[in-house]
Amino acid sequence: MSELFVVGISWRTAPVAVREKLAFRDEEVAGTLREITATLPVAEALLVSTCNRVEVYGVTKTGLDATGPVRGFLATQRGVTPADVAEALYDHRGSAAVRHVFSVASALDSLVLGEAQILGQLKAAYGVAAAAGTSGPLLGRCLERAFGVAKRVRSETAIARGAANVSTVAVDLARRVFGDLSGKHVLVVGAGKMSTLAARHLYASGAHEIVVTNRSPEKAEALAAEIDGIARPWAELERLLVEADVVISSTGAREPILTRALFKRVTKARRWRQLLVIDIAVPRDAEPAIGDFDGVYVFDIDDLEKVVAANLAERAKAAEHATRIVVHEAGQFEHWMRTQGVVPTIRALRERFARVAEGELQKTLDQLARRDYTPAQQREAVQRLVQLVVNKLLHRPTRALREAPPDEAGLRAEILCQLFDLSPVGPDASDAGEPDASDDARDPQAALDRELAEPAPAERKAVT
Amino acid sequence: MTDPERLLSVAPSPAFWVAVVAYAAATAALLFVLAGHARLRPLALILVGIAFVAHGTDIGWRGTQHVHPAQSVREALGFLSFIVTGGYLLASTRYRLTLGGAAVMPVSLVLLVVARLTPAGAAPEGMSVLGRIHISLATLGVGVFALASALSMIYLLEERALKRKRFDALAFKDKGAPLESLDRLSHRLTWIGFPIFTSALVLGAIWVSRLGVSIDRPEYPLAMVTWTCYAALLVARQAYGWRGRRTARLTLVGFGGALLVLLIYLVRRMAG
Repeated sequence: MSELFVVGISWRTAPVAVREKLAFRDEEVAGTLREITATLPVAEALLVSTCNRVEVYGVTKTGLDATGPVRGFLATQRGVTPADVAEALYDHRGSAAVRHVFSVASALDSLVLGEAQILGQLKAAYGVAAAAGTSGPLLGRCLERAFGVAKRVRSETAIARGAANVSTVAVDLARRVFGDLSGKHVLVVGAGKMSTLAARHLYASGAHEIVVTNRSPEKAEALAAEIDGIARPWAELERLLVEADVVISSTGAREPILTRALFKRVTKARRWRQLLVIDIAVPRDAEPAIGDFDGVYVFDIDDLEKVVAANLAERAKAAEHATRIVVHEAGQFEHWMRTQGVVPTIRALRERFARVAEGELQKTLDQLARRDYTPAQQREAVQRLVQLVVNKLLHRPTRALREAPPDEAGLRAEILCQLFDLSPVGPDASDAGEPDASDDARDPQAALDRELAEPAPAERKAVT
Repeated sequence: MTDPERLLSVAPSPAFWVAVVAYAAATAALLFVLAGHARLRPLALILVGIAFVAHGTDIGWRGTQHVHPAQSVREALGFLSFIVTGGYLLASTRYRLTLGGAAVMPVSLVLLVVARLTPAGAAPEGMSVLGRIHISLATLGVGVFALASALSMIYLLEERALKRKRFDALAFKDKGAPLESLDRLSHRLTWIGFPIFTSALVLGAIWVSRLGVSIDRPEYPLAMVTWTCYAALLVARQAYGWRGRRTARLTLVGFGGALLVLLIYLVRRMAG
């Protein structure tokens, strides 16, 4: 029987120096998937390769093990000796694989717990597999369900709530003060990398424009060009502060730049409009006392990192609930998979029954069409039809039961009792004579009775 | 004409009890949302909606019994809480005002219960059309000021939490509304409430002078103090660009005066 499996490497098991050796470029993925399904005992496959994980999700060909070959493939395909990555690679099969896929999609296995990026990456990987023709019904169903589980986890738990890095905390704070950021002016003082990131996030969140100022006009120009901002001379700082709504400061100055004396003039000129000051510099650019002015909110790097830590702690708490959801959903998916295994049997059973019924029905209809039957004869013909159908349907199971080896007979009888909800009583004492096969058509009920009473061939031999 | 004594002692309708239960349940649900059960927010808003509809039904039913919101200060109080609830519902469609709801709903409940279950006292004397218009406008004006004050109160709490960098504070539970929006909305409501309240004051002064009642009652100067507060607030905002903390405080001072005026009226009515 086919089963789901996962083979991969992630930040949990290997440092980036090892992960990067097994990573795939986007344009390599489709070809690799085709190669996996063509050369390995893998019927369906998907490859997800991000900076934090490289994983193959797949479905084995019936009755074969695929994890070993896929492990070997990943290593040799990337030119790595399998033994070098043997410890870093992990694999899961069956229910463990389903739980893993659901956990990854729900960002429970992400480096930053709850980070939504992985869901988009998984969806993209699924798209590539579908386009390459390597995702089939089982893997497809598993991934679709994983996306549903991820959505449920995000809406029912706090796993993705609260900013998880300093630059998104800056955006969060700006939203708390201003709500909608459209039309808001962002002023970047200095040219630190962190302030660039924060400014980019604010701009992406709808801020109107980003103005950059620096003691060095060249650096200001370069940063402004990098983030689609406008460079302004350092001498205009006070005027720029009056116009800004959000100030992100990260200069390398040894003394504070945003001083109380400066802000006394600035807040008055601003008419106490709200001003958010994010000071990422060390040593700090903003004197803490400027936070005493009405409408001015100052946050330094420690404040931002405290928010990140608090949010991550909240996410960790939410992870317990999220894990319960994943386990429950994986259980339901496994149940679905098990039922999928018996679907062909059910279909064959229905087809056989339908074939028998249709064959006998046709014979009876032909008989009725050929001769003029009285109503009583018609009734008798229908009765005979029903009994014939029942006989034919029960013939094989009855024989199988009667001819079962002694150690299996009890089990078969028990299964039949369960399937047909039977409560058998003691053996019938009636003694039937030797059957006449030609009588069956004339009296199907008698034929059935005889079949039930007749001993199995092995028993008959023993009697004679 | 109907007997004024009978009018004032009309018992509350079944809808009143539905409103009381819904207000209490909405308060509890909003407190649960603040405690972190965010999934209860839709239920809380539905309960506020039920309370609002039941409250409106009770006012309508009293109308069929010839008891109108402008009939007395007691009736006006019931109407005031109805306006406040409606305003909260309206604002909730745009902002997450869970903390505001948790504060406004119990106030609405208390106002409604006070309005319906306190002794009616003696029938008011000299209740003319002018008097009724005065009561209606004063109720409406104070209702709008109540909403502005609720927003200012949330503003002050959120601002304090942000200044002290306490993101886990109650004011920030359930995300909170942005400071700028709270400030702007409170300002708009003050602009709406001020002309209504001014008209109520002018008509009240004319009504009182026609009745020939003594004007040395404490509520009259208190009402003037309230009006002056709001007038100063609007001037400071428009002319001097005041905003934020100081305007929020002034809004609350003004509303405190308005509440005091209402309270004095009510106590006098209850005392007969």
